[in-house]
Amino acid sequence: MNTRVALAIVALLVLVVHGFVFYQQFFNNWEKHQAAYFEQARSLAKTPAERSAVEGRKPRIEQNIVTQFGDSRVDRCLTCHLAADDPRFDKYAQPLQTHPYSAALGDFQRNGRWERRHKFSDFGCTVCHDGQGRGLETFYAHGEDPFWPDPMLGYVTQADWHSEYKPKLLGAEYMQANCAQCHTEENFPGTPLVSQGRQLFFEKGCYGCHRIEGLSSGTLGPDLSEAGHKFKINYLWEHTVDPRAFSPTSFMPRFDLTDDQIKAIVVFLKSRRGMNFAETSMEKYEAKLHETKPLSTGSAQQIPTASLGETLINQRSCTACHKLGDKDGHIAPDLSFEGLVRDDDWLLAHFKNPRSRVPDSIMPSFGFAESDFTALTTYLVTRKTPPTFKTGEETFKGICARCHGEKGDGKGITYLYLDPAPRDLTKVGFMNSKPMERFLTALKQGVPGTSMPPLEHVLTDQQRQQVLDYVFVTFVKEPRKELKGRKVPEQNPVAMSQESADRGEKMFLDRCTGCHGRKADGKGPNSLDISPRPRNLRNYAFIQNVGDHRLLDSILYGVQGTAMPPWIDYGLSQNDAGDLINFIRSLNHPSRPSAPADKSASLTQP
Amino acid sequence: MSNQTKAGPISFLTELPANIWHSIFRNPLPDSDLGRSATSFTNFFLHIQPVKVHRHSLKLTYTWGLGLISLFLFLILSVTGVLLMFYYVPSTTQAYDRMLDLRGTVAFGIFLRNMHRWAAHGMVAVVFLHMCRVFLTGAYKRPREFNWIIGVGLFLLTMFSSFTGYLLPWDQLAFWAITVGTSIASYAPFVGNDVKFLLLGDTSVGQEALLRFYVLHVAVLPILVTLLIAVHFWRVRKDGGLSRPPEEDEVFPAATPEPVAMAPAAASAVVAVPAPAVKLGEKAQLEKKLYGIQGIVRGPFTKIGNVPDRSVFSWPNLVSLELLVFLITVAGVLIVSLYFNAPLEQPVNIMHPPNPAKAPWYFLGLQEMVSYSAFWGGVGIPTFEVLLLLLVPFLDRKPGGVGKWFARERLLANSLFMTFVILNIVLMIIGIFFRGPNWEFVSPW
Repeated sequence: MNTRVALAIVALLVLVVHGFVFYQQFFNNWEKHQAAYFEQARSLAKTPAERSAVEGRKPRIEQNIVTQFGDSRVDRCLTCHLAADDPRFDKYAQPLQTHPYSAALGDFQRNGRWERRHKFSDFGCTVCHDGQGRGLETFYAHGEDPFWPDPMLGYVTQADWHSEYKPKLLGAEYMQANCAQCHTEENFPGTPLVSQGRQLFFEKGCYGCHRIEGLSSGTLGPDLSEAGHKFKINYLWEHTVDPRAFSPTSFMPRFDLTDDQIKAIVVFLKSRRGMNFAETSMEKYEAKLHETKPLSTGSAQQIPTASLGETLINQRSCTACHKLGDKDGHIAPDLSFEGLVRDDDWLLAHFKNPRSRVPDSIMPSFGFAESDFTALTTYLVTRKTPPTFKTGEETFKGICARCHGEKGDGKGITYLYLDPAPRDLTKVGFMNSKPMERFLTALKQGVPGTSMPPLEHVLTDQQRQQVLDYVFVTFVKEPRKELKGRKVPEQNPVAMSQESADRGEKMFLDRCTGCHGRKADGKGPNSLDISPRPRNLRNYAFIQNVGDHRLLDSILYGVQGTAMPPWIDYGLSQNDAGDLINFIRSLNHPSRPSAPADKSASLTQP
Repeated sequence: MSNQTKAGPISFLTELPANIWHSIFRNPLPDSDLGRSATSFTNFFLHIQPVKVHRHSLKLTYTWGLGLISLFLFLILSVTGVLLMFYYVPSTTQAYDRMLDLRGTVAFGIFLRNMHRWAAHGMVAVVFLHMCRVFLTGAYKRPREFNWIIGVGLFLLTMFSSFTGYLLPWDQLAFWAITVGTSIASYAPFVGNDVKFLLLGDTSVGQEALLRFYVLHVAVLPILVTLLIAVHFWRVRKDGGLSRPPEEDEVFPAATPEPVAMAPAAASAVVAVPAPAVKLGEKAQLEKKLYGIQGIVRGPFTKIGNVPDRSVFSWPNLVSLELLVFLITVAGVLIVSLYFNAPLEQPVNIMHPPNPAKAPWYFLGLQEMVSYSAFWGGVGIPTFEVLLLLLVPFLDRKPGGVGKWFARERLLANSLFMTFVILNIVLMIIGIFFRGPNWEFVSPW
């Protein structure tokens, strides 16, 4: 008997639970919307034809199966948006609102009634709007589910998007990115944001680092040909605004952009889906055959004059990063008096490959024609007007603060993009442990292999002394103590030989790679956590310019104010240091591929 | 036949639906012992069970119905699994989208998936508990050794089924759990890397692994499990039914047994082939004769004859209890599926391993051990435990203590077993709750 009672109770429970389940799954929202539509349509019906069209209609799922846009899409949007093609509902609230007709969308009037150019039966909905076509609940259908890769453009933000940017990512204009999937012409009137974005892609120098098929061939940054397919608009926005938000070790600069410009760039990038629905494969192939890269032909026929160079500077968006005259990108060095800083050979070599002169530069190797580089060089060399600063403070703020920062802490506006980073002049330990001659020489002849320019012809001796005094008074503050002489030989005590370099290599691999890296390029695993970063020991120009005495001093006694420890405390002898120096010099032998062809940096520093 | 007017379409129509019904169900609902026996005996599904079953086997507090629950969970899994197969595609490019479709567009999709997932986890847990029950009641001893081995095999197959199914959603959770699991398998000496390659069809988890796991999960393993379940049931019958304490089988019990509750006619229900002790009329005797000799059965069970025994008819006692257990299982799975959603994380991104990457919960004890020693924790100790399990009926030959929970005579065996169980559970709990990034100890609060 007990079993029977228990059976009855549990059976009832199962029945009730089934009831819950069925209730959950039936009585959908879309049925309610459809019922509301039928009711309204019935009351709005004026002719018998209209009335009979609505009578007897039962709620059911409406789907469009669209196959001409890649994978077959099943769009069920019309299930809730049943009134999308019914012109009588243009004043109703969503979801029962008529989809707008407009000439801008290609719609036209015929016999007094609007007709769509992009009929739902041919196009579906998601090819323009994105979202999840198969969904039947708002949360899924509109793409609000954070795991859905294609939320409705401009209508939906997902929960895990940064709240600061969510309001900026709303707006029907984002849909222009999808128009461009078919309407790929350069200045298609329906997609002004895409055109603006494309323009900005060139104006802001993006083309130099990023490749987009048919537009540019930069190799420094990721290929953006399918950025719209891979990323959502929140990623594109946030990454443009703050590259290090998603990729902490990125050296992509933060460009000066207004919100409108960012929106245009986002729409442009979102339109890069890697496919053009309107093109067949044959047409695509034809286009590729006749493709002309916009920048590669350049002005090969023209004589590379300075005025051509000046034109090119504006055309090729150099001031998207650099400063020149009154235009400033706030990212790269000031070229306003570059003719006083560098000579033709240096500039031409730097143009062709920036890393041949500054090994850790982030400036891309632009694929211009050689004559373009010559023209640019010719122009830059004409910039020979020295700045007129009267005091050390003015000089510092006018020239040095761009990199070294107004506070002298090495955090000027460009510091994130320079490697080696600008020296932190507030580090008393460093500033007070180096001889003054070293600083004066650095100011006069620059620091080869780095972005510190030679100011020999830009400032007079007196001005250089003034700015140095200003630095010491304002940033270092502590008075210099008498520098103790250290027992460091002037020359390397160990003669250069293969055995010595091998011993040095072994020691290097044992002790130095944690910071300086296994490739001795300063990118060891600890390098991300220390400031200033470890020295790139393969920086040919730099190492050639540094004498044995200084290397010995740095290795044995460390570099105060940095993380370089005094290795003499860890048992390294002078001969050990000598072996290490021989190893480092062997890495920077002029026959090595990384060394530049000329040896213009020949002066050695004491 | 003589009262039929004419065999033909008219009589067919007039006799509907009884004629069709009786062609399927040859016996009416029983109201006599003969009828009850016939119902069990002549039905394909019911004849898997004996016609009469010992009363002790029906005690829910003895078995807790764990074996039954395992079976019913397996059935639920099969049904929901087949339904899911209509929507799922084992392709690295399509699988995740299909999971999203199941969630967002298929009617009952979320619910179906929930039922499948929670039934799966439930089955791993219940099969384990069933194994504990069998051990702690000594039901692996003679003559049930081989059935125990089949049971251990079923346990391992259950976990493997759950493991193969874990990969199919192809999200971060799935991918990295299987990466961890197969890497642990590769720690086996000599064969480890080959085993891993065999499982994955590649050196890392990808399309090949997905396809293999899918085939294993929907075809190979269910067939093996079904086969082993069939043998398992067969063995239960041939071993004399479920285990029970020896006093239940005493020929001359101290007190007369109470009449069986469910069958009103049972008071005189003892039937026999040879000379019955109860004197009945000849007609009644003939009516009561149920079966000829089916076979000579060795063993302690068959007591057809003149002894009052404590067996009761399967129909309706056993069948109604099984129905009850089935309904409770279904209710449990339904309720849990209503309230808890099966997890679905981000799509697979091989550049972004989660930290920590955790195996499915039933392997987390293993993973915790692996964090101390790859070989011993991942291969050595688990193999040792499985071997111990398999050999336990042959190591423990003492016949006493069967049929009772925590029998005194089996204190050593039970203590050892419980020690292993508790250790494994503790390790599992540590792995689940107390391990964070880099497998460092974290507080779950």
